[in-house]
Amino acid sequence: MCRVGENVPITYRWEATAVKNPPDLLPGTLDLLVLRTLTRGPLHGYGIAQRVKEISGDVLQVGESSLYPALQRLLLDGYVKAEWGASENNRRARFYTLTAAGQKHLAAERKEFERMVGAIRLVLANA
Amino acid sequence: MRLLRRLAQWLRFRANSTDVEEELAFHRESIERDLITRGHTAAEARQAARRAMGNETLTREDARGVWLWPSLDALWQDARVTVRGLLRNPAFTTGVMLTFALGVGANAAMFSLIDRMMLRPPALMRDPARVHRVYMYRTSNGVESETGGQYARNADLARWTTNSFSAVAMHTTKQLAVGVGQDSREMRIGIVSASFFGFFDAPSAAGRYFGASEDAPPSGSPVAVLSYPAWQAQYGGRHDAIGSTVQIGAVVYTIIGVAAKDFVGLWPLRPPVAFIPMSTYAASVLGPKWQTTYSSSFGIGSIARRKPGVSVDAASADLSKALVQSYRAEGRSEDGLAALRPRSLAGSVLIERGPGRSDVARVAMWLGGVAIIVLLIACANVASLLLARALSKRRENAVRLALGVSRTRLLTQLLTESMVLAVAGGLVGMVVGTWMSAMLSAAFLPGIEPPSVTGDPRTLALVGIITLVAGAFTGVLPVLQARRLTITDDLKTGARAGTFRHSRARSALLVLQGALSLVLLVGAGLFVRSLRHVRDVRLGFDPDSVLVVELKWRDVQLDSAKTADLRLRLVGAATTVSGIEHASLQLAAPFGGMTDWPIAVAGIDSVRKFGRFEFNAVSPDYFATMGTRILRGRAFESSDLGGGRGVLVVSEAMGKVLWPGEDPLDKCVRIGIPPDTMPCRYVVGVAEDIHARGFGPQARNFYYYLPAAQWHQQDGGLFVRVAGDVRGAIEPLRRRLQQEMPGSSYVTVARLGELTEAESRSWVMGATVFTAFGALALILAAVGLYSVIAYNVAQRRQELAVRVALGAVTGDVLRLVLGEGLRFAAAGAAVGGAIALFAAPQIAPLLFNQSPRDPIVFGTVTSALLAVAVAASTIPAIRGARVDPNAALRAE
Repeated sequence: MCRVGENVPITYRWEATAVKNPPDLLPGTLDLLVLRTLTRGPLHGYGIAQRVKEISGDVLQVGESSLYPALQRLLLDGYVKAEWGASENNRRARFYTLTAAGQKHLAAERKEFERMVGAIRLVLANA
Repeated sequence: MRLLRRLAQWLRFRANSTDVEEELAFHRESIERDLITRGHTAAEARQAARRAMGNETLTREDARGVWLWPSLDALWQDARVTVRGLLRNPAFTTGVMLTFALGVGANAAMFSLIDRMMLRPPALMRDPARVHRVYMYRTSNGVESETGGQYARNADLARWTTNSFSAVAMHTTKQLAVGVGQDSREMRIGIVSASFFGFFDAPSAAGRYFGASEDAPPSGSPVAVLSYPAWQAQYGGRHDAIGSTVQIGAVVYTIIGVAAKDFVGLWPLRPPVAFIPMSTYAASVLGPKWQTTYSSSFGIGSIARRKPGVSVDAASADLSKALVQSYRAEGRSEDGLAALRPRSLAGSVLIERGPGRSDVARVAMWLGGVAIIVLLIACANVASLLLARALSKRRENAVRLALGVSRTRLLTQLLTESMVLAVAGGLVGMVVGTWMSAMLSAAFLPGIEPPSVTGDPRTLALVGIITLVAGAFTGVLPVLQARRLTITDDLKTGARAGTFRHSRARSALLVLQGALSLVLLVGAGLFVRSLRHVRDVRLGFDPDSVLVVELKWRDVQLDSAKTADLRLRLVGAATTVSGIEHASLQLAAPFGGMTDWPIAVAGIDSVRKFGRFEFNAVSPDYFATMGTRILRGRAFESSDLGGGRGVLVVSEAMGKVLWPGEDPLDKCVRIGIPPDTMPCRYVVGVAEDIHARGFGPQARNFYYYLPAAQWHQQDGGLFVRVAGDVRGAIEPLRRRLQQEMPGSSYVTVARLGELTEAESRSWVMGATVFTAFGALALILAAVGLYSVIAYNVAQRRQELAVRVALGAVTGDVLRLVLGEGLRFAAAGAAVGGAIALFAAPQIAPLLFNQSPRDPIVFGTVTSALLAVAVAASTIPAIRGARVDPNAALRAE
């Protein structure tokens, strides 16, 4: 999941009011968020960004400059499919759908993420 | 899967770019719409959306970049930058490209030639590694020579080899007249056993090949298989060609099939137009019982397929055993066999790789090496130029490093530059190669289609490899140089004065170029001198003014007397053609195979112990026709007739060996089988010695002449002496003589020079190609030296200016600069001389009367190299001497 060599810029735009200094996030989390968002059904890029923003209570804002490369990467890996369709207000938009491989990948990554967060919590609580 | 998706994506690259673009536009509009619904004005919303989106191009590039191989894009960019940079400097670029092109072209041409001759197995042959040509040797008078060629001998070997071979086939090719009357033309015909086709994986394109029953002695069947190209050219590829008849030689054959498209048998250079059964042809040209006669042959060879598990040595031993048995069957005594020491060998199926390899092939191998040296010199030159370029870009590169360009990227760019140049050079090189290949073929393999360079995958692959290696090789030095970049120093001083540094790498390259040029020039010198020695050999006749006429009988049967009359008529007719000075009957042509009958001389037990005595049966005009001088006595006269006193003319050496210390005139020689019962023929003249078997010393070959009137006057052809243009006389002569020929018989006319030229071809080839490549190398080395010296002088402007300011005169500066050039050349000459001294004896067997360490050659070549070095350094030296100290020092 974490491809070191490809030098992929994963940046998160944080609401300036919410957090002063954005902490480093675990690499690959963006893919996780995108895949999870797609479990509820096909969404276009803007929809994904909006969904993440809403659900995270405006804490997480996914920037376009990282979202679209991430989507292309997921396409390349075969975790999502893309199809052109009509948006809610009848504009042409590209909808992304989770594939079976994507679902499996999401489950694995999610487990891994929980393990990491659990570990971090343990350290924070007990060190 | 990833790879597939990546490739699929690549194929619709453009579509994907617009996909992302449209997606991003949609995203921006969505933000805008949201802002408007939250109460912003349209203009505000648009601006805010743009701000929120940031750099859309970057996003698009990033998204697109996911699909690319990580460094590919950077590489592409480097290549574009490089090409732009190179286009800005056309002189440099053209120079480097041409240098590469010459190196690559020379190698492509030589490779395509060598590949045809000795690397590539015959087309369509099944498992060629296990197919062998059969070589046979026997020893006579202590000298081993190749033998075989008779049907009976080859058949014996096929019959009596035990279990080593799974298949054996006989083969040969002949130039035979195809067609009838004026339309008939001599073409190459493959004469093969029925089993020959089984060696190939070549199903017939139409009809069928002939089978064993059609190739069975005593007479075979008159059936022929056309080659595919002949079928297309002569019959338009029509299927009704099969079943039609064609006259080949004396026999009318029925066409039963067409060979596979690329089938050329064993003869890729001169593919036959048709294949006919061995037995049918043998029966048409040899006497009765031809299949068991060991005395007549027409150059038949055999190929054999070795069984798996049988070693080559075991196969050769088996063949030798069968050969001994064959000599026994011929009736040789055991004593005779012991002296004959018959031996056979399973050689490579490629004739030029077997023991029968020609001198042309040997020289071609050397020239392949020479081509590689030319490439090395070309690479050294390019590397040197690139190095100079890299040195002059030190400051630029230092700035780029300081600005944060990664070293890797910088080095990649340098390599990219040399690669782009090499690839461009390789492309031009293929054009050069095609051209060189055509020239080489025309000169050394006359009458063949020049091997294609651009259409041949093997040659193309080689060009590709050479190009990449050359690109990498030439790029490495500048890269090594650039790795030593120290930003601060170079930024401070840049390429400015006072910091003149000798580049050790460039000096080494220069010495290398000089050395390799010297080696090539020594080779050129040795071959040129060999060729001159060959040309200086007095052959004892003038091949350049003589035409050889041969009579081809086909179906016409004339009795001896009528044939003899016809020949005399032809001699008469020939002299009526304008430009023809003399004409003579002849039985055999020097360099074309002479005739050898047993002779006896009183007082000598066995004349044969001295060597081989060969003769020609000729008209009185023979010696004038050939330009052979009579040293003593007389030539033949028209009074030397059949019924009269038997006479002969002997060569000088023959007279000396048979009657040492005596006058050979009026001595008696008996000729025939057995010789001692034959009547005396008396020596009436002594002619100068001739070379009839090569240019070298003819210690064991002796020649004599009989009047045609006293020897089977019906056999043989004509020699015709031409005053002036020999080639121009061929067609008028042929037309005039053809009028005399009965029925569908015909004459062929060729230059005698063709026979001698074929013998001297290896020296001509060595001399011309070595000289051409040597000159090329010298020019490249001179350009290299010039550029280095000029560069150094430019770098030393300040230093020279200081010297001039301190009182150095023009001569001092000239000496300084010329001395530098000469030092390089001398070092190159020393290294090259050492290499040449070491390597030259290796080519000694290919030279002619020429010591491989000839001091004249070495001396001349070294002085030539030094002279070129002086010439190359003079211009920069003069420029250096003209430095105006005032201007140069003020520029500081």
